[in-house]
Amino acid sequence: MGEFLEFQGVTKRFGSVRAVNNVSFSVKRGEFFSLLGPSGCGKTTLLRLIAGFEQPDAGRILLDGQDITQLPPNHRNVNTVFQNYALFPHMTVFENIAFGLRGARRPKDEIEHEVHAMLKLVQMEDKAEHLPSQISGGQKQRVASARALVNKPSDLLLDEPLAALDLKLRQRMLLELDLIHDQVGITFLYVTHDQGEAMSLSDRIAVMHSGVCEQIATPAEVYEAPKTSFVASFIGDTNFFDGIVASAPEDDYCIVEIPDFADIEGFNGVLCYNDKKKTVGDHVNLSIRPEKFGISIDPPKRQFAHMNALRAKVEDIIYTGNHTNYWVSVGERRIAVYQQHAGYLLDEKPIRWGDEVWLYWNADSGYMLDDDAAPDDPLLPPKTSSAPASPSRADDAEGTAP
Amino acid sequence: MRKSFLSFSLLGLVMLFLYVPIILIFAYGFVPNGVSMSFFGPGGHFQGFSGRWYGLVFSGHHSVRALLQSFWLSLRIATLATLVSCVIGTTSALALHRWRSRLQTVHYGLVYTPLIMPDILIGISLLMLFVACGVDCGFWTILIAHVTFCVSYVTMTLLARLQDFDDRIIEAAYDLGAGPWYTFFKVELPILLPGIVAGGLLAFTLSIDDVVITSFVNGAGTNTFPTYVSSMTKHSRNLPAVFVLSTLMLLFTGVLAGVSKLLTGKSTRQA
Amino acid sequence: MTKKFREVVVTAPSFLWLMLFFAIPSIIVVAFTFHGHTPNGGVGEWSLSTWRELVDPDYPVIVWKTIRISFEITFWCILLALPCAYAIARMKTKWRAIVAGAIMLPFWTNFVVRVFAWKTMLHPDGWLQSCYFAFIQFRAWLFDGLPPFLRDFFIWVHLASPTPPDPASSTILDSETAVILVSVYTLLPFAIMPLYSAAEKFDFSLMEAARDLGAKSFYAFRKVFLPGIRQGLISAILMVFIPAIGSYVIPQMLGGTNCVLIGNKIFMRAIQNRNIPHASALATLMAVSVFLPLLCALWWRRHQAARERRQVEIRAARLMLGGTK
Repeated sequence: MGEFLEFQGVTKRFGSVRAVNNVSFSVKRGEFFSLLGPSGCGKTTLLRLIAGFEQPDAGRILLDGQDITQLPPNHRNVNTVFQNYALFPHMTVFENIAFGLRGARRPKDEIEHEVHAMLKLVQMEDKAEHLPSQISGGQKQRVASARALVNKPSDLLLDEPLAALDLKLRQRMLLELDLIHDQVGITFLYVTHDQGEAMSLSDRIAVMHSGVCEQIATPAEVYEAPKTSFVASFIGDTNFFDGIVASAPEDDYCIVEIPDFADIEGFNGVLCYNDKKKTVGDHVNLSIRPEKFGISIDPPKRQFAHMNALRAKVEDIIYTGNHTNYWVSVGERRIAVYQQHAGYLLDEKPIRWGDEVWLYWNADSGYMLDDDAAPDDPLLPPKTSSAPASPSRADDAEGTAP
Repeated sequence: MRKSFLSFSLLGLVMLFLYVPIILIFAYGFVPNGVSMSFFGPGGHFQGFSGRWYGLVFSGHHSVRALLQSFWLSLRIATLATLVSCVIGTTSALALHRWRSRLQTVHYGLVYTPLIMPDILIGISLLMLFVACGVDCGFWTILIAHVTFCVSYVTMTLLARLQDFDDRIIEAAYDLGAGPWYTFFKVELPILLPGIVAGGLLAFTLSIDDVVITSFVNGAGTNTFPTYVSSMTKHSRNLPAVFVLSTLMLLFTGVLAGVSKLLTGKSTRQA
Repeated sequence: MTKKFREVVVTAPSFLWLMLFFAIPSIIVVAFTFHGHTPNGGVGEWSLSTWRELVDPDYPVIVWKTIRISFEITFWCILLALPCAYAIARMKTKWRAIVAGAIMLPFWTNFVVRVFAWKTMLHPDGWLQSCYFAFIQFRAWLFDGLPPFLRDFFIWVHLASPTPPDPASSTILDSETAVILVSVYTLLPFAIMPLYSAAEKFDFSLMEAARDLGAKSFYAFRKVFLPGIRQGLISAILMVFIPAIGSYVIPQMLGGTNCVLIGNKIFMRAIQNRNIPHASALATLMAVSVFLPLLCALWWRRHQAARERRQVEIRAARLMLGGTK
């Protein structure tokens, strides 16, 4: 498992804007690698650089040890599944898939054989003579994948391949894509703005923001140990706390004094897991996921060795079925708390709007971020209970021209 | 809904206004008396329909030979002008669609200006060119003139279609290993073909209909159908033959338009 | 480098063709105006004699007549086309295409043949002639009822003649009326089409909203519908006015000696008298007086629109790529 696809300090400018800014990373052979980020973060530009539709202003791109930076797209052994599939409207499904092989002047019976094998892989054998306008969105997606895969590319690029599909279909195609990846065993480079897709499919994820790679890690790492506040807020929801290390009673744990909580009586700081080896006086930007909190009316039993507990007041409650979202206030600070229902909800002792509750969490579930500044809008606590907002996520598809 | 009623009845009157001369053209093809152009004799009694003019046209009688020759010339010029302007118009539209540069701004101006220029100015400027170069006017000058004004129309028709064209399809072809020529002939051209056909039909109609520009550059003795007809007087004895040819041509273009409608209809279903 | 080369190659055919057969000839026309003419129809030495000849009291009258008749044609076309476009746009989608097609259908018949059909219809023995004479008499009667200063004004702008109508000379053939009538006939579809496509995109619930707010239907038509289709209205006017200014076939075939327009003059000088510089000068005059202002206006508008679009694009790009701040 050597380095297969390598970016070395790649920069791409459009006018005065740097769509991709000095990006370096590498993808291993056979890996399912995702580029995740909001619209306009440069992920599609990065993909187009690999495909050869754009040339970088600086840096090099290596594919299997060969410098492909200046190679035109038709001479690169990579193929793309386009966002809107870009199937040739005047050709049948069969002809679409055969296009690359015919262009390479392969013998006729070989083309026939290969295309049929591909049609079988994507379960489209019965639609071979249909035109793209006569098949559904999910089927188009399969044809687009087959059309790219039939050329046996060393790397398959997928540009938001599921963005045009509805939710249920998207989930099914997700499984299919995963299956195809397992069967063909080539490197997949997957561009998406949907954290769910990236999390469920990828071996590793590169989270991109403003043309820069913020973090490259496995899905679990990205979620549990985000490097920056952007990563923390883009993937899942989170609460940010700014504070200063007040004392470090143990090697691995420290007490962080948080200005928002300064007025609370009898509370002298948040106990944190100190993997960044912060010392007294250091500034800390802490991220705690809403589901890591516990909430109860009765005082919590001591479940963990290092636990924090606070009195809070419930301000908003949104019941979403599989869990309930609470917004509680501690002093002036509002905190989001997501609770799953262990038992049957109606049996539990209900928490109501305005209740005084206990908020508690394990010191290990807070995570210190590398950067200081919290993003402009971390998980926005709604002032009214009308909208369960997740504002930091960009839901719309990325535009064509960055 | 008084307003709608008013506008609908006006629309009916306008349609009548538009169609009465067409019906007359059709009817005059059967007129018995080619000099008075009347279905009624001197005593005011109805003289019936006559198939004489159709017979003259189909048999190529010498009395209508000059007319038929002009008609044949029109068809030849229109066909050639259509072919040439389709090729030039396609490259022009592709260039205007694909690139944004100073060159294309000038190019667009060159293509656009003939559209808002009155025919007479195009005609006279071409005449001046031929005079300045000392070229004798005739078949080739007419062809050049027709291509000149058809190119702009073909380009604009195609350019409008290209706006619906998904440029990623081209990228997809490159991505699958195809070179520029393979992509052009296997992908771009087949997809654009209905648009080229539509532009070509427009060019054909414009070319066969043109009288203003042609009358400047045709020179002595070379007449297309429209210039020949416009030089006829009211009491030319062969006037009904003109109406016969027009009726035939209307039928022919009707069939052509039907075919093109089928073509474009099919392509929109595909898209 | 190769990219630029490819652009040049693809651009070359149309660019060179139009350069050679459109742009350069236009320059030649202007250049010829500064030459004298030779008796055998050639182009003489450099001189300003052509421009001096142009100071002919006839020309201002002809230019004014051309412009006036073009305005009249445009007025009637728009007046007829507006309700038609409105009516078509209010039809069911299936009918719209059929009616729009039916309006364009007559235009597959040869233009000259259609004009000839009109010429046959307007024959002095025909019923259209009787209608026309009745109309003339009615107009004369209306004219007599006008206050004197208005009468003088209409005579001054050539909208009326000071002498009473005479049955012998008032044939519809060889008159301005015939030219206007047939020009409206040939140009009407070009007025209807842009208006119709603008009206088709118009959101008719706005009309209902206006009616709902208490507007009378004509008031709503004027205050909501007309501004809504402004773009179509402008292109309809241009589509009619431009050919009308340059028209010469219809005046030649139907206008006789009573309706000689600038187009006829150009044709006469160029082909019949073979006075090439003179024809060039007239064409230049026509281009300079009408089309240069028009072209400038069109280019300015395009430029304006392009600049606005560019600014929006830049702003959008900044928003998308500009980062957190």
